[in-house]
Amino acid sequence: MSKRRHLPDSSRRNFLKGAGLVGAAAAVTPPVAANAIPAAPQEKLKAAVPGARQIAAETMAPSNDPVNQTTSGGDFMVDVLNSLGVEYMAINCASSYRGLHEAVINHGNNKPEIITCVHEDIAVHVAQGYAKIEGKPMAMACHGVVGLQHATMAMYNAWCDRVPVLVMGGNIMEADKRAPGAEWVHAGVDIGQIVREFTKWDDQPASLQHFAESAVRAYKIATTPPMGPVFLALDAELQENPIRDAEGLRIPKFAPVVPPQGDSGAIAAAAKMLVEAQNPLILCDRVARTPTGMANLVELAETLQCGVIDNAGRMNFPSRHPLNQSFRRGLIGQADVILAIEMNDLWGTVSHFSDRIVRRSRPATKPGAKIVTLGVRDLYLKSNYQDFGRWQDVDLDIAGDGETSLAPLTEAVKRLIDEGRKAAYDARGKKLAAAHLAMVEQSKTDATIGWDASPITTARMCAEVYNQIKDEDWSVVGTSIRLSWPHRLWDFKRPYQWNGGSGGAGIGYNLPASLGAALANKKHSRFTVAFGGDGDFMFNPGALWTAAHHKIPMLYIVHNNRAYHQEYMYLVAMAARHGRGVDKMDIGTTIKDPNIDYATVARGMGVYGEGPIVDPKDLGPALSRAIAVVKSGETAVVDVVADPR
Amino acid sequence: MHRFKRIAVAAFAVSALGIAGAVSAQDAPQGDAANGKRVFLADGCFTCHGRSGQGGAYNGPAPILAHTALPFDGFQGVVRNPPNDMPAYSEAVLSDKDVADIYAFVESLPGPRSPKDISILNN
Repeated sequence: MSKRRHLPDSSRRNFLKGAGLVGAAAAVTPPVAANAIPAAPQEKLKAAVPGARQIAAETMAPSNDPVNQTTSGGDFMVDVLNSLGVEYMAINCASSYRGLHEAVINHGNNKPEIITCVHEDIAVHVAQGYAKIEGKPMAMACHGVVGLQHATMAMYNAWCDRVPVLVMGGNIMEADKRAPGAEWVHAGVDIGQIVREFTKWDDQPASLQHFAESAVRAYKIATTPPMGPVFLALDAELQENPIRDAEGLRIPKFAPVVPPQGDSGAIAAAAKMLVEAQNPLILCDRVARTPTGMANLVELAETLQCGVIDNAGRMNFPSRHPLNQSFRRGLIGQADVILAIEMNDLWGTVSHFSDRIVRRSRPATKPGAKIVTLGVRDLYLKSNYQDFGRWQDVDLDIAGDGETSLAPLTEAVKRLIDEGRKAAYDARGKKLAAAHLAMVEQSKTDATIGWDASPITTARMCAEVYNQIKDEDWSVVGTSIRLSWPHRLWDFKRPYQWNGGSGGAGIGYNLPASLGAALANKKHSRFTVAFGGDGDFMFNPGALWTAAHHKIPMLYIVHNNRAYHQEYMYLVAMAARHGRGVDKMDIGTTIKDPNIDYATVARGMGVYGEGPIVDPKDLGPALSRAIAVVKSGETAVVDVVADPR
Repeated sequence: MHRFKRIAVAAFAVSALGIAGAVSAQDAPQGDAANGKRVFLADGCFTCHGRSGQGGAYNGPAPILAHTALPFDGFQGVVRNPPNDMPAYSEAVLSDKDVADIYAFVESLPGPRSPKDISILNN
């Protein structure tokens, strides 16, 4: 349904129907907005029958108005997007960018390929998930004002996750060009203002050349670390109308920014601190931007034979690498030098915090420990939203892209390591490897508890899935809150096998972002699997229709604990603190009575659905059937009724 | 991301549980495991520790309780005055009898098995 022409009695023809009643009075009545209350008919006035000239004047455009055109600004915009290599444009269709939409289809021959979404939040999240696998942004287009308002939560997730997305929203800049009604409520003087606090850059081009330069600039800014979403407001007239001065138009040349490398002196100083440390430790979160990132981090860790604690914002470090100490956070308190690379929340990682009546924090580090930071996150911050986290004292703060700076840092470390140190390093590495192995064995042992229970334990849920996909070229692109079993038990070792979380913890990310990642994986013939909570699922179940429509293969496991479980726990804590009613905290926190049948919801969206799986013995066969569907090129949903965590 | 954060919290909690106890499990009051299960589920214990006592996560990891070898006094001490972010359950919401019953329940839960017996845990 058109979003533009839905107001009652807005057409010129309807206006003319009343002419017989209001007669001559109509001829002198000033034009009114379509949704204004009409004046009461004046019965004394007799209607005059309109003549042929009047009818023609009322119903036909003036003869000198052009009715066809051979070029459109939208065509040029499509050329610009294609020059940037934008593969896809996720959209929810809307009249304010109908010019661009039509141009993509007919001028671009559906290139960038349109990914039809049933909500703008889905469209942006699809783009977020895609970018983290493919390593480049896709476009997203939405209605000015209302569509953009729908898109905001997902844009905030992308902002917090430092992921590039090229968002475009239609607008009608010139007031005298807006039709009555919806085009007024869907227009704004500065629609970029809606998202400016959580985008890196935005613009509202006033000409096609302006668009071209701003689109290339936006793409460049979005993809320069620290990355982030950008926004362009597209004037409808600019999209729809013929191109003027075509000879003067030029698509700018795009040259990506070479990410900044840390200062060589600072890198040398950091290397010296790490080499001389007794217990150096690497913390990381969003280091790996490209396949090179993980390899470079592994080389640094192996050179130092030091532990790595990965907060898993990206696929930074192999899960079964002997130096992976991500589940041994106590090492933070033993380290004398900590190298924190591209950390999202350094303070939160090196502190203990108590969520009690009096909220306190204390360092998790030992006294005198030195902290070196390397990254670009703090090079671009804004004020209102507090995603930058609490201040953390550090000893050496190196501004430089983490991934880019790893190689020179490793070389600097190698230059300082003599034979005498190598033996000590090897001994340190062996201890860490033994501890890693013990951690893995402990995880396996822990996973056996409640193995046959119903609801199914999360450990068994994850083990059953891994058992059936381990030999595929798999990629895990989503997880439910605090579901750590895959990283405890699975063998993550390829750069695309994990892509981090939502960034902003905005619910509704998981299903559409996983789909976007699956879209990226599709052309590489990878097997995409994702876990997601039931609460998250219900924010954007319509993403499954997009999966069906575009035939995107993905195995989606609904971790169905029938609750907004984190909130359930918080409420129990509140009731316990207040000494009352701990047995009533399911009110407003659970999703039951009735239970949602996610497999049926999935089937309603056109994808395969299995479940609800309650008995753990039924899970393996259900997964087998679902995996066969995914291998045939479609999405399959498996609803697993599971324990909360 | 904090998904894997604060594993140390769990270690501290387990340590606190162990240190606090002076009375052995044999000295625990006779609890009603069936009622303990009911309270464990109704009062939200399962939300962090899992229905099988397998452990879980709140703001940080929540310790395993299945087949606990912890002494009753230590267990009760943590319930009443827990470390870290675990909510403190006062007698107003959880009687001493309820605590004893919960203790009986978690003590009755089967603990871990050998992972070697479960082939898919050895992939």
